[in-house]
Amino acid sequence: MGSVALRDIRKSYGAVEVLHGIDLDVADGEFVVLVGPSGCGKSTLLRSLAGLETISGGEISIDGSSIVHLHPKSRDIAMVFQNYALYPHMNVAKNMGFPLQMAKVSKSEIDEKVAKAAEILSLTQMLKRYPKQLSGGQRQRVAMGRAIVRDPKVFLFDEPLSNLDAALRVQMRTEIKGLHQRLGTTIVYVTHDQIEAMTMADKIVVMKDGHVEQIGAPLDLYDRPANRFVAGFIGSPAMNFMPAKVENGQAVLENGAVLAPAPEGLTEGQAFTAGVRPEHLMVADQGASANVTVVEPTGAELQFVVDLAGTPTLVSTRDRLHLRLGDTLHLEVEAGRLHAFDSETGVRLG
Amino acid sequence: MNQSSRPFYWMALSLIGVVIAAYILFPIFWLVLASFKTTGELASLPLTFWPQAPTIEAYTALFDETSQSSQLLNWPTLISNSFIVAVSSTILVVFFGTLAGYAFSRLHFPGRDLILGGLLISRMFQGAALLLPTYRLMNSLNLQDSLLGLILLYSAFGLPFATWIIASSLREIPFELEESAMMDGASRLQSMVRIVLPLATPALITAAMWHFVGAWSEFAFASILMESSDNKTVTIGLASFVELFTIEFNRVGAAATLVAMPIMVVFFFGQRYFTRGLLAGAVKG
Repeated sequence: MGSVALRDIRKSYGAVEVLHGIDLDVADGEFVVLVGPSGCGKSTLLRSLAGLETISGGEISIDGSSIVHLHPKSRDIAMVFQNYALYPHMNVAKNMGFPLQMAKVSKSEIDEKVAKAAEILSLTQMLKRYPKQLSGGQRQRVAMGRAIVRDPKVFLFDEPLSNLDAALRVQMRTEIKGLHQRLGTTIVYVTHDQIEAMTMADKIVVMKDGHVEQIGAPLDLYDRPANRFVAGFIGSPAMNFMPAKVENGQAVLENGAVLAPAPEGLTEGQAFTAGVRPEHLMVADQGASANVTVVEPTGAELQFVVDLAGTPTLVSTRDRLHLRLGDTLHLEVEAGRLHAFDSETGVRLG
Repeated sequence: MNQSSRPFYWMALSLIGVVIAAYILFPIFWLVLASFKTTGELASLPLTFWPQAPTIEAYTALFDETSQSSQLLNWPTLISNSFIVAVSSTILVVFFGTLAGYAFSRLHFPGRDLILGGLLISRMFQGAALLLPTYRLMNSLNLQDSLLGLILLYSAFGLPFATWIIASSLREIPFELEESAMMDGASRLQSMVRIVLPLATPALITAAMWHFVGAWSEFAFASILMESSDNKTVTIGLASFVELFTIEFNRVGAAATLVAMPIMVVFFFGQRYFTRGLLAGAVKG
């Protein structure tokens, strides 16, 4: 396994720069997830690491050795593609054995390694089948098997679950996580799904418009987002934002309602954007009053939208409340769960 | 269209297809039947449709060294020349068409699509318009009356269309497969040979069939370029044969059937690839 270091990575297509100097360290055996909306540059960064894109500037190294000028095949990196990229004319065994064949490994060793990987991935009964005879999940496992047999320094995953249905996605998420724990591999994984990122990663890199917005452990990003973008992107359902200001040490909404004690670091009278996650808003006897406008029971929890000082605000609770449209209720924010962001720059204030 | 009218629609379409096929194939079928009749039966009235006493006499006469037809035309040499020219130029066209098709489908260079489209312009010229310039060109290169000259000429004429068919097909193959192969340790050439080309087999077979059929049955250029009897091809032989043996129509039929045989064999084995190859790029899979 290997550690990866990216330094000031820049990538331009003509005059358009799409990666603006990315720095990232991936420790040996770490599971790092690059997450961000479409077009943020996460796949370009992954493909640059793989050698499938030529970077315009910067340095990429694995275990301290530069790989920038190496052909993809010489980087000792395996990649699982979004569409699996299984070779349609080869059966499962041949697909999985292809990298070893390219490395001129003996047939007996190929058979042995393929059998071992197939066992890990529960593919032993499928070895003679062709990709078109497999389900989406099985294809994904074959793609992973093809990466495993090589025992490379780094595994790259480019949105590997996006073509699977919801149930299978959850199952494969668990399998990939389990595989990482079993093999102790260094993984760089790209997704636009923040739940995948939260559930799988040791470290999340949130990207936007070719910049890194924040790097950190999943719960760090959830608890202390560096800016409004990260706060809105991480967490499901998304964080609510509303204009507020500090009055007498309290965060006060535009209609004068008190939301919660103002976070530390703010000054008296300072205007800011208050951020509160739906699951951190509680129905209480007192607090900011709000009118219910939408009720959405999901079974495990109840989600409802209220009009809070003119801002549609989502609340999520596990309590089985009997709400009707137009009901008025009072909301409080769980202690220490109010986030403050600069109204102009979006940077975290407290 | 509702469910009940659909069978009638297909029946009507099938009927039209059968009528068109019969219209096209009847003269060929008639010629083949004639090759199994005797000269007497062909000359007698009323005309018979099926051979009254089927015989392969016309075929054996073609290769019978004592027969007049065999003395005038050396069929084994004609067939062998055509075979050499058609097969060699097919190999060249598929080989270079594959390389060019790969470049057009995978590499980015200025004017790529314009050039690829421009390749088809070469097919818009009537062959007759090129006869004289081609003859002069081949003459100046000292390649007239030479099988090599004919091979190069057919390859040059066949390459654009083969390139176009192959490039269209390769564009349908996801580039991700090649990238995956490269990540798996393959060089670009290895990924092309091991991954891309096996998936492009229908297009390669189509290009090969298309060219082989064209080269095998080409007459105009062969007739002006090939002078010595040792270098003539079957189409020239067949044309001479028709002139020499108009009365013995069964022998003309036998010779025409013989000449058409390789094409029929090629289509018999390659038919299932042919449509797929030609439709590559036309529909999204």
